[in-house]
Amino acid sequence: MATTVEHHVDNTIERPGERAPLVLGGLNYSEITRTVCDVAERPRPPRAWYIAFAISFALTAMFGVLIMHLFLKGVGVWGNTSPVYWAFDIVNFVFWVGIGHAGTLISAILFLFRQNWRTGINRAAEAMTIFAVICAGTFPGIHIGRVWAFYWLFPIPTEHLALWPQFRSPLLWDVFAVGTYFTVSLLFWYMGLVPDLATMRDRAKSKWAKIAYGAFSLGWTGSARAWHRYEIAYMILAAFSTPLVLSVHTIVSFDFAVSQVPGWHTTIFPPYFVAGAIFSGFAMVVTLLVPARELFGLKDLITIRHLENMNKIIIATSLMVGCAYGIEFFIAWYSGVDSESYAFKNRVFGWYYWAYWIMVICNVVIPQLFWFKSIRTSPWLMVIICIFVNIGMWFERFVIIVTSLSRDYLPSSWTYYQPTWVDFGMLIGSFGLFTTLFLLFCRFLPTVAISEVKNVAPKTHHS
Amino acid sequence: MVATQTHGHHSKPHAGHGPESELVGLLAEFEDQDALIDACEQARLSGYKKFDAYSPFPVHGIDQAMGTRRTMLPFFVLAIAFGGVALGVGMQWYANIASFSPIFPGYDFIISGKPLWSLPANIPVSFEVIVLSSAFATFFGMWFLNRLPRLANPLHRIERFKRATDDRFFLMIEKNDKQFSAEQTLDQMQQWGASAVEPVKLDLTDHKIPLSLRRAGLVLGLLLLVPPAMIYRAQHATNPAPRLHFMPDMDWQYRFGAQNVGPIWYDNREPKYFFQDKTVMRLPPEGTIGRGALTTDIELFRGIKAGTKIPDPTLVPQPAPAVAGQAPAAPVLPLEPEWVTAFPAALTVDQSMVERGRDRFNIYCTVCHGYAGDGNGLVNERALELAISSPIQKGATSNAVWTKAKSLYDPTVTIQPVGRIFDTITHGRSTMGPYGSQISTRDRWAIVLYVKSLQAARAKEPPLVTPAVPVATPAADAAPAKDAPGSSIPASDETANKSDSPATDSKGN
Amino acid sequence: MRHKREAKITSPVISLGDDSYRLMSIAAFVGLLGIGAALLISLFLGENGGFKRFSYGYLVNFCFFATISLGALFFVTVQHLTRAGWSVTVRRIAEILAAAIIPLFVLFLPILLPTIMGYGGLYVWNDDGWTTSYAGHTLTAMEKLKGFYLSGGFFGVRSIVCFVVWSLMAWFFVGNSFRQDASGDVNITARMQKYSAPLMILFALTLVVAAFDWEMSLSPMWFSTMFPVCFFSGCVLGGASTIALVALLLQRSGRVTDEITIDNIQDLGKLMLAFIVFWGYVEFCQYMLIWYANIPEETFWFKYRFANSGWRTLTIILLVGHLFIPFLFLLPRTLKRSRPFMIGATIYVLAMHWLDHVWVIMPQFGFDGKDTAPFVLGLPELLCFVGLGGLFVSAFCFIASDRALVPLKDPRLGEALNYTNT
Repeated sequence: MATTVEHHVDNTIERPGERAPLVLGGLNYSEITRTVCDVAERPRPPRAWYIAFAISFALTAMFGVLIMHLFLKGVGVWGNTSPVYWAFDIVNFVFWVGIGHAGTLISAILFLFRQNWRTGINRAAEAMTIFAVICAGTFPGIHIGRVWAFYWLFPIPTEHLALWPQFRSPLLWDVFAVGTYFTVSLLFWYMGLVPDLATMRDRAKSKWAKIAYGAFSLGWTGSARAWHRYEIAYMILAAFSTPLVLSVHTIVSFDFAVSQVPGWHTTIFPPYFVAGAIFSGFAMVVTLLVPARELFGLKDLITIRHLENMNKIIIATSLMVGCAYGIEFFIAWYSGVDSESYAFKNRVFGWYYWAYWIMVICNVVIPQLFWFKSIRTSPWLMVIICIFVNIGMWFERFVIIVTSLSRDYLPSSWTYYQPTWVDFGMLIGSFGLFTTLFLLFCRFLPTVAISEVKNVAPKTHHS
Repeated sequence: MVATQTHGHHSKPHAGHGPESELVGLLAEFEDQDALIDACEQARLSGYKKFDAYSPFPVHGIDQAMGTRRTMLPFFVLAIAFGGVALGVGMQWYANIASFSPIFPGYDFIISGKPLWSLPANIPVSFEVIVLSSAFATFFGMWFLNRLPRLANPLHRIERFKRATDDRFFLMIEKNDKQFSAEQTLDQMQQWGASAVEPVKLDLTDHKIPLSLRRAGLVLGLLLLVPPAMIYRAQHATNPAPRLHFMPDMDWQYRFGAQNVGPIWYDNREPKYFFQDKTVMRLPPEGTIGRGALTTDIELFRGIKAGTKIPDPTLVPQPAPAVAGQAPAAPVLPLEPEWVTAFPAALTVDQSMVERGRDRFNIYCTVCHGYAGDGNGLVNERALELAISSPIQKGATSNAVWTKAKSLYDPTVTIQPVGRIFDTITHGRSTMGPYGSQISTRDRWAIVLYVKSLQAARAKEPPLVTPAVPVATPAADAAPAKDAPGSSIPASDETANKSDSPATDSKGN
Repeated sequence: MRHKREAKITSPVISLGDDSYRLMSIAAFVGLLGIGAALLISLFLGENGGFKRFSYGYLVNFCFFATISLGALFFVTVQHLTRAGWSVTVRRIAEILAAAIIPLFVLFLPILLPTIMGYGGLYVWNDDGWTTSYAGHTLTAMEKLKGFYLSGGFFGVRSIVCFVVWSLMAWFFVGNSFRQDASGDVNITARMQKYSAPLMILFALTLVVAAFDWEMSLSPMWFSTMFPVCFFSGCVLGGASTIALVALLLQRSGRVTDEITIDNIQDLGKLMLAFIVFWGYVEFCQYMLIWYANIPEETFWFKYRFANSGWRTLTIILLVGHLFIPFLFLLPRTLKRSRPFMIGATIYVLAMHWLDHVWVIMPQFGFDGKDTAPFVLGLPELLCFVGLGGLFVSAFCFIASDRALVPLKDPRLGEALNYTNT
């Protein structure tokens, strides 16, 4: 694909007919290998890594302590109260599941669409998916109250072998959707890792690295017959992951939309949630990759073009989300249902008006800055915008869940929900868990899909 | 061509016997993918069948060059996907419908008014199961077809081959190929532009798993035995320690009576109250009454004749002892109110009420009184059994005592007016507990009717006393259960009690 | 080894040539005849007839062809938006189909004009006191609420705005594409790419309005936020199928045989497969959410599609025939790579797409305002199909005339000719 290889080329400019290079700096195959493996092979990572790790690990520890506190004291330590039975716990769950959507989207949907630029970012995004789903799974896991009975969620007879889960409940669908999503993402990610682990195995110097990379690379040799089946398998997994990624946030949206709570029961929820999930997921990928590429010297592989393309997807999904907000409001009026139109008025002007306006400004207004090329190609500006997007998407879930619940059909039970310090601590702690896992991933595994990048890199010719 | 540099260094006891390594094939190195594709095409055209190419990434066009047949993986996955449909749908059907299964019965339970089998609600989980099973099929099927994991491969012993995962391209022709001949193949490979050719040798000397790994495996295996051993031990030992309480707040929580005054919870031993007046619940505002909670129809709600004197309930449990000199027993009776002998006017006594009564009776009463009302319910039988066989406790003179549930055909029961039976169900008698809070008023009356019907039916066979309560004829208005000799209640009043309007409680419960 | 194909047009025939005029006039004649016959038969049908019947049949087929054209317009826009290379060779067909939205504007007049003039047979909200026809209730509040939005005048304004937006979009893409055939200017592609993003926003907004107006407002009490998404999925499905069908038929007639590769056809097949599944997804979500919440304001719309055995059968036909069957036959790679098979497949999918519009529109014809509607489907609808189909084909031929059916000098032509599918 790529035609020119220059050192300081601006690959965000593409003349129709020629494809812009996706690997810069004139790297040949072995330099690509070295650039990526260097992160894991260097004796110690940069100091910034240690600082970041220390902070995130401390937050993770705090998360653990708060979870223990929750277990010992019960869910009363949260601010959840009638009728707002779902609050930060479910907001965080939906938020993290959403974050997890970008990885599979990049690895599956962009693969099916033959978007070659995905190769630079898919590995990190997939890893991020898995970590985000771990964070997401934590919240419903701990909010069930009697956590030691968690296995009741699984399709096994419990309580004297007579009690099965209720398959008509959307909450159980979640268990299957998130569980399947986690498993399939893990398989997909690991399958992509195997050839790269083999590369690291063949470069490993220390005995332990040889054993570890050797065992996990399964004896991969790069045989053409193996590559053939591997590529078909990759395509099949991508074809299954595409509807899967749609189904996961669809099913999460069912948790709300099957109910009759005004503001929750809207048929557009499934696609609208999926668009929002992709939106926030991409914002998170950008937020993480901009510092990562600086820190680990991956600028030639994760180029500005990669980031710019992601920002374009962010605008597109931002508009989809904005359009869905609009349709919801229109139908709330058009339907003539009092409770519906009240719910939406309440969102905009009610007690939680501030949450609503944070959501609209962060999700619909701020991303429009990406229409300017200078903004969507400058790394630090895009990080700031993407952080706003993530704030906005967190608030979107807050608006949907808390605003609607606090004003249900029964005015006498209306209430103003207030989170406790434990709620905030857990939200922050989950970020700690997420970044800890991500930093460990950057340190020990190939952050960029080496073999896939070589596929889109200019051919290396030896004289 | 340095081939066997690492081999043979491991000392081997029987070094003299046989060859130390065996030729597997020839490996040619190429510097770029185009050369590899060309070489593969040449190898295929030269009639080689058993050869393979190695590259750091999938090289496009190499499948055609090698003549690789398309893998059957997709068909395998498709088959598993259809299996996933059956698994997903079947699992849900079983779990939520198959309550008839003798082992692990399903749990048929209706929620949110949806039919037991509601396909739309089963689609999400079915879909996820399909995806999950297909993903497993793809993942494991691919590794299986690729014969991986294979950690011991002679190729990994070749130093040069390490670049196969970096930037070099290799072609190996196996010795097993019919066309293979060491010299000629080597010549051909060089002709095809190989930058180096090297023999691949299988090391025959070192087939054993390293001792360290074997030791680690042994230790791991032993460790894996620990959890089952612990479970076994736990199942066959008694432990006086109380079981673990994960959430003590929930296991030992404060109780409080419905209309009491008292703390709701303690925060560090400091009592906390919910309301200013320290009650645990709000009382209804003065002069109001809850919807459906109007209980002025005393016949319906108490089973007491309207207009008669209702004894103060607090005086009831004051039997004889107060009057020491006189004969006991007699003075208690007058405290009994005047029970209604006919069903209250607010009820429609008909066949459906009998059926309702049977239904409720079978749920609530049969455990002690038995289905036929003979006082031989399961709980009763089992309790008697236990009481007889129980060891005599220290300090006690006999075994545990169980008061037998009454037979409903006992003469002391058959003579009771309906109001009295209603009261028994509502408030309990002696060891029988009260059911007023569990069974709604109308259902309690239905049970009374059913009990009366039972008694009537039984009375027909042996020549017993009581006349029939009309059962099947809806027209008959609850003929009063007429009385056996010795009934203290005059069976005089008919359905004249219309003092309290039936409309007031029409909501019932 | 594979060698790269040069970015050159090699087919001997790449335009309709003289056939276009012949085909155009025949199709136009058949079309007008069909519409006339449909109108006549409807008027003589008696109970289930009249101008109302004709309007319903006309609307079904108008929506069918309009969604095809809009799907093609979406296809063109999205190809520019994503700087796609693979689709260059089939893009011209999509452009011509998209340009057909301009003549379709004229064909919308039989719906638009009566509605503006206050005819309430098709859109009940155009009648005063329409709310009484709903379960006998007089919901004056509802009438007041929707009165401004659902009025002939405002409906007309919205429809005209939609058509103007689409026509300008089609004009922009088609005109520039033809201009590039002559000049080969790369900047033309750059310009189309640049404007494709804002145009896509306009397209999305207008499509939402059209979906609500044309189809959802037939049952003015009913509402579903998912409805425009369902409508959109039908657009893309119809568009992709028609592009593939036209490409295959042109190749059958010996045109553009070299340029439209089997990989193109396979990719269009994949797109159809994707939107078959997407259609199933959105329709299922809409149904499931309404079924689960069980709110009478929403469920009645499905209820009268299930109450009558005819509509119930059609529902099942759609579920099986619009989702499962095409999913299975579009799945295997070998079938998607067989040209004769794909001709049949596209026709089948289009037939299902037509039934989808029938299912949405026709039950409203005899809806009693409570929970049943008689099964009404027959000759007027088929004749309207012939009529509008003829005029649509005629419009296609008119736009294509003797122009090239494949972009001649697109900078990415080489990419389209050389890519291979997995």
